[in-house]
Amino acid sequence: MENDTESKKFKATLDSLSSIREYVTEQASKAGIDKNRIYKLCLAVDEIATNIINYGYLRSGIKNAHVQAIITKNAKHFSVVLEDTAPPFNPFERELPNDEELNKPLEERPIGGLGIMLAKDSVDEFRYEYKNSTNRNIFRINICNEDT
Amino acid sequence: MSFSVKSEIKENVAIVTMAGDLDSSTAPQLHEEIKKVVQENPKELVLCVEELNFMASAGMRVIIFAKQKLGSAASLILVKPQEQVHETLRMTGLLHSITIVDKYPE
Repeated sequence: MENDTESKKFKATLDSLSSIREYVTEQASKAGIDKNRIYKLCLAVDEIATNIINYGYLRSGIKNAHVQAIITKNAKHFSVVLEDTAPPFNPFERELPNDEELNKPLEERPIGGLGIMLAKDSVDEFRYEYKNSTNRNIFRINICNEDT
Repeated sequence: MSFSVKSEIKENVAIVTMAGDLDSSTAPQLHEEIKKVVQENPKELVLCVEELNFMASAGMRVIIFAKQKLGSAASLILVKPQEQVHETLRMTGLLHSITIVDKYPE
């Protein structure tokens, strides 16, 4: 299957979040993905990019860092990969709120863990790998083709 | 894209109106505004979000914070969230504690 790939580098600051979302939106619109799925993809990417910037880099005291967004399109999938060189951080090792906690009144709820949960629930596939000293967060959405 | 927020308190009701994108870079602005209004112990907190195009979990954490500060006696009302914002609130279980209305006052 033919892959069409492009990428863009962003400064690892929270101010980049809106530019990252704009980039993903622009590329996903070109690929013909509907608005609702683009929103969810942006939400997933935004949540993980926030963690990379806040916890991966800022809290580790790493300055002048970058996050690379790599977009790959083919007939079946549209993927976004976020690459960063912060210390390894596997979002799947983080404990997420369970159903019981999500159903609690807000006054009694723990405040954390929502971002990673949203990232997982907003795309068709969310994966993490650590390769060549690089964190890779991979988001994929299936392209629905009504003919198939 | 940007974010703006303003608030007013009238007869024990705090109305916070926001527009734009609410993510981790802009949530601190909402947090400040909420801190300001909850000090007045309003019986109702109304968030007007019709012009809010995007809300990440950072925004939801501010809403949870607001409800925790206000306590269970005060009500939290969201006016006209866009469909996708509404859906995210549902996914994260926030709708249990929020009343959604199309306009305020009804």
